[in-house]
Amino acid sequence: VLHATRPVHTTQQRLAPLPPLPEKGGEVRHGLIPEEFFQFLYPKTGVTGPYMLGTGLLLYFLSKEIYVINHETVAAACILSVIIYGIKKFGADVAAFADKLNEEKVANALAVKNAAIKGLETAIEEEKKEQWRVEGRSFLFDAKRNNIAMLLETNYRERLMTVYNEVKKRLDYQVALQNLKRQKEQDHMIQWVEKNVVQSITPQQQKESITKCILDLKALSKSVQVAV
Amino acid sequence: MNMSFFDQFASPCLLGIPLILLSMLFPTLLLPSPNNRWITNRFSTLQLWFINLITKQLMIPLNKNGHKWALILTSLMTLLLLINLLGLLPYTFTPTTQLSMNMALAFPLWLATLIIGLRNQPSISLGHLLPEGTPTPLIPALILIETTSLLIRPLALGVRLTANLTAGHLLIQLISTASTVLLPIMPTISILTTTILLLLTILEVAVAMIQAYVFVLLLSLYLQENI
Repeated sequence: VLHATRPVHTTQQRLAPLPPLPEKGGEVRHGLIPEEFFQFLYPKTGVTGPYMLGTGLLLYFLSKEIYVINHETVAAACILSVIIYGIKKFGADVAAFADKLNEEKVANALAVKNAAIKGLETAIEEEKKEQWRVEGRSFLFDAKRNNIAMLLETNYRERLMTVYNEVKKRLDYQVALQNLKRQKEQDHMIQWVEKNVVQSITPQQQKESITKCILDLKALSKSVQVAV
Repeated sequence: MNMSFFDQFASPCLLGIPLILLSMLFPTLLLPSPNNRWITNRFSTLQLWFINLITKQLMIPLNKNGHKWALILTSLMTLLLLINLLGLLPYTFTPTTQLSMNMALAFPLWLATLIIGLRNQPSISLGHLLPEGTPTPLIPALILIETTSLLIRPLALGVRLTANLTAGHLLIQLISTASTVLLPIMPTISILTTTILLLLTILEVAVAMIQAYVFVLLLSLYLQENI
């Protein structure tokens, strides 16, 4: 059954890919009459054929009053002139606008595609860089290892210092304690000796020492007077 | 041949078969059929751009619930626009000059907005009957006035569209008759009248587009209040 009806098919009977749209629309003359009509009449009547046909038809309608000229003719002339003026003036702009809309649509899709491609290329670059970085891994680890060792060493030394300081503080304390004790003993002894000496000075000895001092002073004063 | 100026508004009839439905379907001739391409021809692209523009403009003031009305409002706008513009061609019947058609469009849509408002948020809907900040003695009178204005809305919508288009078409007919009749008598005046007719035609094109937009815009406003 399918083969029998196949000559009648007008479309391609498949959905994709769609046949492309033609670049330009059909050729028209005076915006209304397709070029094919003129080509159709050309062999028999030449270039002026269709125009003669048109004029003849118009005059026939007018003379036989198939088309009567009434007020609507004037109204028709006005609205047609407005339409033709509008098309001539704004036609190209509107077509360019429609083309721009289509271009933007395509450009957006292309932009998405290009952005994706660019993103992937950047990812490839990054990956290559990472691979290069992998080669220097050992240096990185050595440096890190040295770093850590130094940190550990520093920490150890700091703690050693703390221990040393603590111990010194304890020992200093003991030394100071001993010194203090010796000092106290010394002071105490001196005080005791002085006290005893002062006690042992009897009044007899005191008077003797005072008269001796006075005699000495007199002697001295005499020697001084002689000197002067 | 027209004997009176109102024959152009008679609903078309052929051998007793009313053709009004056919004349209402003519705008579909102007719309390109959507095909399943991604990049379409210029006409389809422009149609899509235009519909996007209208829908965006209409839907911006509405909330989420109002977006359900996008299809009907946009299609109504397109229909009215194309019917009005097609009616400017000579010897064409414009369905929107018939009060029956415009009331049939305006009344149910307005009633739908009213019922939606009264059903879902009755206090807010009724609250629209009293504008804010009115002095207390004026309140009863104002509520009556606002109720009248509310109830007259469908009539206003329908009659506005009908009157604008009918008046425009009548004026075109009158002035073109004047210019035709004056042509053998006083050609100069006839040319002047034709100039006036040209300007009037440009005005009518503008009016055709504006009236369609105003109809749909007012409906969307009534919807905004009630949804």
